[in-house]
Amino acid sequence: MSSEGNIRVPYYPGCTLKTKAQGFERSAMECSEALGFVLDELKDWNCCGASFPLTKDNLMGLAGPTNVLIEAEKHCQEHNVAPSVVTLCSFCYNTLKRTSHAFKEDPSKRTTLNAFLERDYQGTIKVEHYLEYLRDTYGFDKLAEQVKVDMSSIRVAPYYGCLLLKPGKEIGLDDPEEPTILHDFLDAIGVTVVDFPAQVDCCGSYLVMREPEKAMNLSSGILDEAGEYGAQALVTACPLCQSNLDKCQRSKTSTKDGLPVLYFTQLLAMALGLSTENHQFEDHQIDPRPVITACGIGCSEKSE
Amino acid sequence: MLIEPQGQSLTAIQELERSTGEKITDCYQCGKCTAGCPASMDPPPSVLIRKLQLGMFDEVVSEQSIWSCMACLTCSERCPKGVSPAAIIEGLKLIHLRDMDPQVQAEELGQEFLAQSTQQAVVSGFRKFI
Ligand code: SF4
Ligand code: SF4
Repeated sequence: MSSEGNIRVPYYPGCTLKTKAQGFERSAMECSEALGFVLDELKDWNCCGASFPLTKDNLMGLAGPTNVLIEAEKHCQEHNVAPSVVTLCSFCYNTLKRTSHAFKEDPSKRTTLNAFLERDYQGTIKVEHYLEYLRDTYGFDKLAEQVKVDMSSIRVAPYYGCLLLKPGKEIGLDDPEEPTILHDFLDAIGVTVVDFPAQVDCCGSYLVMREPEKAMNLSSGILDEAGEYGAQALVTACPLCQSNLDKCQRSKTSTKDGLPVLYFTQLLAMALGLSTENHQFEDHQIDPRPVITACGIGCSEKSE
Repeated sequence: MLIEPQGQSLTAIQELERSTGEKITDCYQCGKCTAGCPASMDPPPSVLIRKLQLGMFDEVVSEQSIWSCMACLTCSERCPKGVSPAAIIEGLKLIHLRDMDPQVQAEELGQEFLAQSTQQAVVSGFRKFI
């Protein structure tokens, strides 16, 4: 499909989407194209630092995300689009959004960072999550009209995790304790939503680097609960949640006893009738294809 | 009765408050942070804060439980007093890390483990533990 004339949305991928979560990025790119907009990657970008520094005096931790915001500002000026940047990864989203918030709260931090980086961030960038873009700019109603495949036979639990939502006051995407954005997204694309209590529980996050068993236990608990509530799969917006939830099922090999964990964009691609051949499903511990196919939903390897 | 930390401990606690931007005495020990904490920390966040209120800085800074915090921010989200236990805990961690006392040995993680880890976990892990 030609992208001529399509809306171009400034896009920051972050490190994980270029490596371990390529299926997330590719599915989002392909969905965007089908929906009539293009994720326009920033020309030059660096790691956002992954974790927003929680202590007020840690300005060094803001250098990475500030540099990304500067590149985004530059990109938007050059392409003459409204100053914004869209992300897919919850970690990147959290870090960039909190950084821009920190500058609004205390403009002297921006001055200090500009002096340190020898650059000039003007503080204009609005950080948006892809889900937020679909909800607020594209519109879930319009999204529903684009759905080509009946998805109602699959029961999916929306899993939000932590960083997409918290701290609620700074992120402002949704209610941090009782969010609905993923529910509403799944509703829009016609998937049967399984509301389950562990939807905002922590998957264990970066604790995998120090106490992997503890992290895996937390992820197992989330999966158990989703299973008890009748889910056949989980969706997430975070590659680390995906990885933890998927890897804690290491001893399981199939969907008979395991629950596949997908990115929300992968389900969207299926709903739009797109090919899933670039979705990297073969890298998932629990391959989602059998359960999707068993639900009678096309999970085609080739574009129709 | 207001218990005031004394001497060296007072200086350390004031420094912790300065670095984190949190006020230890704002906490009124409702225990909401601990109730929602998924990390099974022992001692849990509200107890760490109580001990800081009592001036037991040296004991708190060497508690192993601080390293189990995942910065999920549930505690900070729910605290009715606007305290961020997660920030206080990160402040405690940074005292070690700034003193070159890493809690994960990068070279011991192994190539295979690193190769299958997500970049965001590795970068976060390095920031929080090394
Ligand atoms: S929730 Fe807040 S006030 Fe309550 S114990 Fe925890 S830090 Fe203290
Ligand atoms: S941020 Fe840390 S202390 Fe707070 S609830 Fe999460 S794991 Fe527990």
